Amino acid sequence: MIFFFIILFAITLIYLAIAERVVRFLTLLIVQGILLAGIAYWHLKEIDIIHLSFILLETLIVKSIGIPLFLNYIRKRNRLNKLNESKVPTFVSILIISAGLVFGFVLSNFLHDAHIETIFFAVAISTVIAGLFFIISHQNVFTHLIGYLVIQNGIFMMSLSVGAEMPMLINNAILLDLFISVLVLGIFINRLGDTFQNLTVDGLSQLKD
Amino acid sequence: MVIYFLVAFACGGLIMLFRNSTANLVLRTAFLVTQLGVATYAFLHPGVTDSVYFTFDSLGIILASVLSILSIATFYHSYLYHKRHPINLKNESIYYASLILLITAMTGAYFTNHMGGLWAWLEATTLSVSVLIYHERTTTALEATWKYVFICSIGISIAFIGILFLSIVATKGGLTNLFLTDLMAAAKIMDTTWLKIAFLLLFTGFSAKLGIFPLHTVCVDAHTAAPTPISAFISTSLMNVGFLGIFRMYSIIAQTEAYHWANQILMISGVLSIAISSMQLLRVKHFKRMFAFSSLEHMGIVTVALSVGGVGYYAAILHIVLHSFAKAGLFYQIGQVDNLLHTYWIKDTGGYMKLNPLGAVVILLLFLMITAIPPSGLFVSELMIFKSLFGGHYYLIGMVLLLFLSVTIFALGRNFMWLLYSIDQAVPKAAEINKAETFSQFILIGLITYLAYSPPLFFTKLINSAIANLT
Repeated sequence: MIFFFIILFAITLIYLAIAERVVRFLTLLIVQGILLAGIAYWHLKEIDIIHLSFILLETLIVKSIGIPLFLNYIRKRNRLNKLNESKVPTFVSILIISAGLVFGFVLSNFLHDAHIETIFFAVAISTVIAGLFFIISHQNVFTHLIGYLVIQNGIFMMSLSVGAEMPMLINNAILLDLFISVLVLGIFINRLGDTFQNLTVDGLSQLKD
Repeated sequence: MVIYFLVAFACGGLIMLFRNSTANLVLRTAFLVTQLGVATYAFLHPGVTDSVYFTFDSLGIILASVLSILSIATFYHSYLYHKRHPINLKNESIYYASLILLITAMTGAYFTNHMGGLWAWLEATTLSVSVLIYHERTTTALEATWKYVFICSIGISIAFIGILFLSIVATKGGLTNLFLTDLMAAAKIMDTTWLKIAFLLLFTGFSAKLGIFPLHTVCVDAHTAAPTPISAFISTSLMNVGFLGIFRMYSIIAQTEAYHWANQILMISGVLSIAISSMQLLRVKHFKRMFAFSSLEHMGIVTVALSVGGVGYYAAILHIVLHSFAKAGLFYQIGQVDNLLHTYWIKDTGGYMKLNPLGAVVILLLFLMITAIPPSGLFVSELMIFKSLFGGHYYLIGMVLLLFLSVTIFALGRNFMWLLYSIDQAVPKAAEINKAETFSQFILIGLITYLAYSPPLFFTKLINSAIANLT
């Protein structure tokens, strides 16, 4: 079951390369959040029920509900519907993200270790690469934020793959930081939208020598 | 530490709640007393672990003491800044509440003994300083804030991946936690391949905070757009947080065979930072950007010092302390220049020696301090660094760095001399010169000289204790 979720998660990365509508991006983030909750459940079901429930709830509430709802609010406020401003053609994007997946598997096999789950690790690395590529290939700050969240999803999966647990307090602090950083970035996207009328990075070039 | 955090958060929260000048003043004073209290408590209890996740280690004590001294000066100059740039009480309250959160987050980062905790506090500094960079609500402030928050967040995410790799290597070494002391103790048996990857990721991530190559650009933009007291903080205490993060990871890798490899990474980054800064300083047109590139140069010097080892370790910590005081002094003073001439653009300044002789003396002294020309205390630390460079047979690197530093001295000297002696500028009628505003800068200059030429025993002991695990 867990492999099914991971493969579905990898497919969402390919969809990310194809998508142009903002609603599609948000849907993909919701799906990724649900899949991560599923992966976390199957992976951590041996731990105590309170801890497990907390992790599942925080994953679902923050990643699948809270953040997408907030991003949808930003989308509506800034009238963002279709973002066809990628510098890279869709076909090339698919190729690059697929290459990222292959690289993830090659790297995790190269680093083959008893302490990491290979398939988890491979998809997690690919997700981080896909997020970085997404940021580099797009010119809109809203899509940059989506890319940042994809990286965070990759990091979440990587933290599951390495098996080492952070203490509960630190874990919560990290999640809180992530949530606040999305809020802060979202607020600044609104400001950018109000100031520059559009959200492309072209307007952000006043600071130079 | 729990009491400190409760008081700090209460002060910040109440400032936002009351939005009253008198209440704000009382709460700011209460916070400063608490900040000094926690630094003193740490100094009196070295090595003690508090509230599980915090340990008062030597480097933390040194950097928290620097932070506390600069906090007093920054609050004073923030008061002056708001007197010159009056805004509504709501925005002023947001400013002070964010400043308190920033100082609290930096203190948390200095004293945390857990790599995960360090990451969380670092991210907290990014979020709190973003509000401060955006304080003036201009388009450049917005651009700088977005770039700073976004790139720092990406950088810190990369650092988090590094922490995950570190946890893999720790698990292989038989550890079940990420406490620094345990990681250092188990470092010798860790797999060096994984450790190298962790170091590279953590170094790249924390370079956004330390303001060195490769993620140095965000700090430069943030300096330019932030209010001057905040620029002073970004350029000093906040960069010191980045240094601490890199130093913690370096302390772990220094126990292993990957030590020489890590030194090479530090050396490359340090030399490139110095090279970039000296080239940029030749074309810079804005005083705050000039100071920002100067910070890039100094952090490059610190990184090179770490990579050389030996006396370089001592010099790196001494340099970071002295640089903090010198650079903060420069930012406070340039705020005074802006008050008089209403500009930070170099070409629009001039005649400062006639307009404000006392302030000009401060500029002149701080120019000597920041360029490490005797009697600057930074001369002592740079002399140690070059001594260890040439002693370690890094002749070519040493000579190249001397060339870059000469370019830096020329570029800074040219711009400072323009400010002091070029054609007189008409002083706007509203501008007032308050001689008391230079007082804090003289204190900082005094501290630089004292700590370098006649360091108190406790100070040298603290530095030696901080580097004890490296030598």
